[in-house]
Amino acid sequence: MARSRSSRRSLLAGSIMFAPYLILLLLFGIWPIIQATITSIGPSIVNPAGGLQNFADVVADVRFLPALMNVVVFLLLYVPIMIIVVSVMSLLLDTVQGRWNLPLRLTYIVPASMTGATAVLIWYFMLEPSLSPYQSALHALGITQGNQIWRQGGLAWIFVAMAFFVGAGNWIVVQYGSLQSISEDVLEAARIDGANAWQIGWRIKLPLIRKYLVYMGILVFAAGLQVFVEPQLISGSVYTGIAKDWSLNQLSYDLAFQSNNLAGSAALSLMLLVVCIIAAIVVIFRTDFFEGTGVGKK
Amino acid sequence: MTTESIVLPGRGEGIVRTRGLGAVTGRVVVWIVLAVFGILSIIPMIWLILAPSKTGQQLNDNPPFSFGSFEQYGATWNNLLSQNDGIILKWMANSVTYTASIVVISCVTAVLAGYALAATTLPFKRVLLIITLIAMIIPPVALVVPLFVEISAIGLYDNPVSVILTSSFYPFGVFLAYIYFSTSIPTELYEAAKVDGAGEFTTFFRIALPLSKGLFGMLAFFSFSAAWVNYFLPYVLLQSQENFNLSVGLGFLFTSSPALNPLNGAQQSLIGRPEIALASLFLAIPILIVFIASSRLLVRGVLAGAVKS
Repeated sequence: MARSRSSRRSLLAGSIMFAPYLILLLLFGIWPIIQATITSIGPSIVNPAGGLQNFADVVADVRFLPALMNVVVFLLLYVPIMIIVVSVMSLLLDTVQGRWNLPLRLTYIVPASMTGATAVLIWYFMLEPSLSPYQSALHALGITQGNQIWRQGGLAWIFVAMAFFVGAGNWIVVQYGSLQSISEDVLEAARIDGANAWQIGWRIKLPLIRKYLVYMGILVFAAGLQVFVEPQLISGSVYTGIAKDWSLNQLSYDLAFQSNNLAGSAALSLMLLVVCIIAAIVVIFRTDFFEGTGVGKK
Repeated sequence: MTTESIVLPGRGEGIVRTRGLGAVTGRVVVWIVLAVFGILSIIPMIWLILAPSKTGQQLNDNPPFSFGSFEQYGATWNNLLSQNDGIILKWMANSVTYTASIVVISCVTAVLAGYALAATTLPFKRVLLIITLIAMIIPPVALVVPLFVEISAIGLYDNPVSVILTSSFYPFGVFLAYIYFSTSIPTELYEAAKVDGAGEFTTFFRIALPLSKGLFGMLAFFSFSAAWVNYFLPYVLLQSQENFNLSVGLGFLFTSSPALNPLNGAQQSLIGRPEIALASLFLAIPILIVFIASSRLLVRGVLAGAVKS
């Protein structure tokens, strides 16, 4: 009797504690998806009948395929570059313990403070041959005019550079932290077996932080799929219209705010959201990242 | 020496090599790579700090890392203030208010929910946890258009409350708190308190909360860094200039002034490149200070600490 009363009390207390977050979850996690689903099959300016035709209309939009291709190219560059550079840099950082380790880490997180509009400003100056600190390097590459860089074909590289610049440092520090969790005994055993620093890094450390790298890769993929701010701001400032509707999210934004086609915009957002949800489910159920956190089946 | 005898011949050769000249070369290469990456990381920040010390003309003509004058910082600031009767101050104040509200609401709700998941007999725990994980992995940008649809429907468009509430939804924080309360604090501690007759709330406030300073620090850090630079969501949910945060305001200066494109905006605007750089600096510096102050938190390994292998 006493036990069931205390467990009922615990249930009540737990529910009260969980309630504020649950309200936010329902209001701003679940409701927007339901509302967007309803909107996406409602009547639209191009399709008064509504229904699933809205999804077909978005895919058939002349801007859709180019935007999809841009995002695919962006992801094919961005995700591998992030994973490789972050792995290598965090492994290298891990080999230099001592007083220079902390200052190095601090410099690496500096760029993370320059996001959004700041990043666009910085990159405009870094890439403009007449203003850049890398002027001589740019000239050596034969680049003397801004428009040699800011052109359609090279935009994916520029946006990758921007996103990489903002995100890489933080991830290097985070993965360096992951490396600290490897037990010293394991590394010592490898050293006794005669493994050199390169072998320890490649054969021991890297496999041990693999799941953190996979987790990062999926997070980076999901975020990259939604690329918006950089092309949007470049298009609205430095080179007007150069990256208009460059990414899928920009197209979604334009459908809602320029074309007055909220249904189409909601349809496109939902398609992107579904991809992200699938990515999330893959991490949760198909990787061992959340093992032992109470998510897996008992 | 004995160690070399037990490895394969090929590897043994490798060891001999790396212990000689190769090892030294290897160290030098590692240091060069690490140092170059560090220099590349701080060059833009140095540029950004120097830029507002110069006039627009000097920014174009002088070397990128030249210093203008301290007086010019003041002149640049005054130009920035001239924009729309000092709306920059309003944007800064908005950023502070929004961010503070978001940090408080998101951290408090996350700690409570994390504790409820870890230590109470909440029903449907596994489902709630999985939904929280999915929400945590989906980038917030993915929900911007759906949130816009919802916020317009309930009449909160262009109302700062919409930005504060939507940004306070913090599944990552709930997950961190859940992991913290279920691994870092021994469950025996809660059990003991309950055996002594303490209710859930007493246990939470007397036992769990006093042990959660590190957790609060980490939650506040992530919540702050996301909220302070939040761009897309407020950009979509807010319309009036006086409601913008600094991030959206900066984007507005970008696209409305002739600073970066002479075709844009009023030609007589005082907003040039140094002014934009100064506004960017105001956006970047608080984040930088918080990052540097919290570097100890990050070092311990956010992922490794949160998810024990």
